[in-house]
Amino acid sequence: MFKFMKLVANENMKIYRRPRTYVMLGLMLALIAAISIITYFVDDTHNTLAWNMIFTESMISYMLITVFTIIIASGSVADEFTSGTIKLLLIRPWSRSKVLLSKYIAVLLYALGMAVVMLLFSFILNTVLFGYQDVTASEVVSPLVSGSVAAYLLKYSLLKYVSLVVTTTLAFMLATVSRSGALAIGLSLFLILGVNSFAPLLATLKYKWADYLLFIHLDLTQYLDDAPMRDGMTLGFAFFVLAIYYVIFVGLAWYVFKKRDVAA
Amino acid sequence: MEQPIVQLQQVTKKIGKKTIINNLSLDLPLGEVFGFLGPNGAGKTTTIRMMVGLMAMTSGEIKIGGYSIRSQYQQAIRHVGAIVENPEMYKYLTGYQNLVHFARMIDGVTPQRIQEVIDLVGLESRIHDKVKTYSLGMRQRLGVAQAILHRPKLLILDEPTNGLDPAGIRELRDYLRQLSKDEGIAVFVSSHLLSEMELMCDRVAIIQNGKLIDVRTIQQGGINAQSDVNILFEVDKPAEALAVAAELGKDALREGDSIVLEANRDFVASFNARLVAEGIKVYGIRVQTKSLEDQFLEVTGGERIV
Repeated sequence: MFKFMKLVANENMKIYRRPRTYVMLGLMLALIAAISIITYFVDDTHNTLAWNMIFTESMISYMLITVFTIIIASGSVADEFTSGTIKLLLIRPWSRSKVLLSKYIAVLLYALGMAVVMLLFSFILNTVLFGYQDVTASEVVSPLVSGSVAAYLLKYSLLKYVSLVVTTTLAFMLATVSRSGALAIGLSLFLILGVNSFAPLLATLKYKWADYLLFIHLDLTQYLDDAPMRDGMTLGFAFFVLAIYYVIFVGLAWYVFKKRDVAA
Repeated sequence: MEQPIVQLQQVTKKIGKKTIINNLSLDLPLGEVFGFLGPNGAGKTTTIRMMVGLMAMTSGEIKIGGYSIRSQYQQAIRHVGAIVENPEMYKYLTGYQNLVHFARMIDGVTPQRIQEVIDLVGLESRIHDKVKTYSLGMRQRLGVAQAILHRPKLLILDEPTNGLDPAGIRELRDYLRQLSKDEGIAVFVSSHLLSEMELMCDRVAIIQNGKLIDVRTIQQGGINAQSDVNILFEVDKPAEALAVAAELGKDALREGDSIVLEANRDFVASFNARLVAEGIKVYGIRVQTKSLEDQFLEVTGGERIV
């Protein structure tokens, strides 16, 4: 187990020793700061709630984190093939499955790290700018929800992270199968951002099979407010459908990676 | 003889209908520098890829240290260090970080060992620079460094002299010979540079179109006391020299201003004395070895080598 963590350490080194990782982090933090600061100067009455800002910024940031994680996930596998380093990586006393697993774990840790940094930064910045208000979720989000706003944000983030994991796994699988970072990034972004904008339309399809489309389940936060996109869908069913897709993505990625002749 | 470190047994690789490697069998003992020679596209790199498990073979078996590369991959690969094709490293990392990366993947590589290897390949001054700033020769050195980091019993190098300057080639050659003699490891080198292989290897296997054509021992030239070798005498009167040789019962061939005959050490001395006594000027005496290139072209039927 300890030895396996060394593989994850290697993958982390390959993520965090590259400038692009910090460029992406910087972009996200700059965007958050820009939203908060512009709002601060535009809003003369100074009655903006810090929590409102945090929710707005989280929503935008999760989109960014998804895009960045897709880039990191695709690069993690595809770059090894493009640069030819895969040949040196695989001729070590480790099974291919474990090498791939170490990459997958490093990618998920990156997504988690980005989410945590984003939430902390947004919370601290907005509390400093707008002050801390002790409010409930019903005042900030919608009258339909109850409980503390922090608990709501936590639930919101967890559900976002589940979608993020599924999306990342899709990109990871595409990169493993295609060995091309550009293809994996392009296709994942097209599926996630492009098709997702049609999700509400897909959700209105009368056919039974539409229940099992990945896209109408990717935004799990719809169940937080009890306003599902497609009638009759529940959080449990959404988890079930996502789990099926997840198993297929993982199975395909590992199967192909294990069997492939490396001739790069 | 102890068990060979590498055994290739009837290895065959087919891609689609094309047979890339056809029934290849080879044994490599420890302590030998073994050359793998063939024209481009003969299947050298494919064979190496199968030896390190990057490619699956269609049939046959490869054993390293007695472990099957198919079913006991981790035990088999543990004692292998390799560069497959070009030494591609992580360009955005420093040379040192690259070595740390590969050291982490194998037990027992200490920071001292990393430093030792860096000194050995002569990268001390640039090891903390990013690999993208390295020249091809420096990358080759770093490639060798990562391959020997864990003290492998088998070192596989695919075209190791590519991109090295003459001094670097010589250094590498000396180092590989030293590794095989002193530490008793087997070195498997592929190349299409014939002259290089002649200087570097103890034995050479020649492959063409995926088939093993021949395995030859490279003899370090010299006039041998027992066995006859071809000796070339450069003289001013070759016709008379031929007559002298015939008198002594030797069949000699004329080659321009020289004659060539089979002789041992003692005969060379006495024949030379005879020529001088007959008033024939001898300008030179040397062993005429058939170069590996001649042998190579002979067995591969003169196919062009790049």
